[in-house]
Amino acid sequence: MKKKQTYTVLAVDDNLLNLRLIEKSLSKEGYRIFIADNGPKAREIAFGEKPDLILLDIEMPGETGFDVIEKLKDSSETNAIPVIFLTGVIDVDSKLRGFDLGAVDYITKPFHPLEVLARVRIHLKLSIATNSLIADQASRLRQITEAQVAMLPTPEDNPQAKFGVYYRALEEAGGDFYDILNISDHITGYFVADFAGHDIKTSYMTASVKALLAQNCTPVYSPLESIRMINDVLVEILSEGKYLTACYMHLNRTTRKLTIINAGHPPVVCLPVDGEPFLIKSDGDILGMFKDPHFGSETIDVTPGDKFFIYSDGLVESAENKITWASGADSLLPVYKKISQTSYSMAPEELINLLFGKGATPEDDIVVLCVEV
Amino acid sequence: MDFKDLASKLGIDEEDFMELVELFVATSLGDIEKIKKSLSEKSCPDASAASHSIKGAAANMGFEDIARLSADMEMQAKQGSLENFDSYINDLEQMVNALNNA
Repeated sequence: MKKKQTYTVLAVDDNLLNLRLIEKSLSKEGYRIFIADNGPKAREIAFGEKPDLILLDIEMPGETGFDVIEKLKDSSETNAIPVIFLTGVIDVDSKLRGFDLGAVDYITKPFHPLEVLARVRIHLKLSIATNSLIADQASRLRQITEAQVAMLPTPEDNPQAKFGVYYRALEEAGGDFYDILNISDHITGYFVADFAGHDIKTSYMTASVKALLAQNCTPVYSPLESIRMINDVLVEILSEGKYLTACYMHLNRTTRKLTIINAGHPPVVCLPVDGEPFLIKSDGDILGMFKDPHFGSETIDVTPGDKFFIYSDGLVESAENKITWASGADSLLPVYKKISQTSYSMAPEELINLLFGKGATPEDDIVVLCVEV
Repeated sequence: MDFKDLASKLGIDEEDFMELVELFVATSLGDIEKIKKSLSEKSCPDASAASHSIKGAAANMGFEDIARLSADMEMQAKQGSLENFDSYINDLEQMVNALNNA
């Protein structure tokens, strides 16, 4: 049998008879009633029992109804509980003050129990509808997050790409994105991007970028040509103020050449098989903003075992500590040295643990990709 | 007084209503004692507060006569006068006790 849903109402009035009258008429209709004859007791019950609705008398000795609602609205635990005022005061100012403080309605005294019942019903219905709307929206956002994660290729499905990844979206729909492109048996493209903004529109854009990457990252085009073509389409379709920073790494495991195209993105970190970690800095315009952009382009020779890290700025920036990636990236090099013996599949997670501590929450979206030649 | 009618007007059954009447009589007699005391102490605010309490309860119960009289008493006490309160208290007490015997 389905569990019965009982709604609870807290009635607050210094007049005991009024409380009993409310209690009798509401409990008869199946509501569970708590009563309080003063402000402090009302708040205690509100915090302890989290009633679905509060009927609150304004004129009480000591702590008035205004004082009580002010304190309830101050706390995240109780601020969503709808409050209906009971007022014998007929002046408009007092009613407006009640609404100002967050009351949803008022009932003038002397009240009729059936009017109380009707208003309680209406506001519970409203509250239920609002809550289900919120739950519905949250579930839709979760679906988007799931779709977004499904769009991200996993290392298990792409063993030939030899990469490890850490991906964490801070909001329900994150602004960070990565993709792996199997251009040929021995050529792999690695793409990491960070959209300006973290809204739902952003997550739709990731689908477009993924499609563009698939169309343009082919053996026919050079890495720079691929990114330029993607840029030109994005300039057309992105709304004003929307852009992304991106890094595209094109690795040919046969010729042992690595090309990095940088579009306003933090520098790639190279961790050579033997040697000190260093940054590959190449400045470039952001993606999707300018018609004729300049992108940083760098091609280097690589050795099997070399590891490369591409990451979003959430890794190195800290709003709290006012660090930007320009200064942050350099300071992180010693940390990379510590994980030089870690396998590429574990390296991103290890890096996050070292930087943020185990189980800590980063301030921003983060994606870290580690690629081994 | 037709309690059955008053109960149905409030939308509750007669048994519940009688329980409330009992409570009303008890609390109102307590308030009347407070008014008597405030009269001997010549404290208008106390007289006003106790009258206010009776008024609020009586109005909700549908006891219009009691509500009207206690409202007048509250108003007068608020304005600083306890004139004729002796006789008001008498009337009030009679009305409330009448409920008890009904």
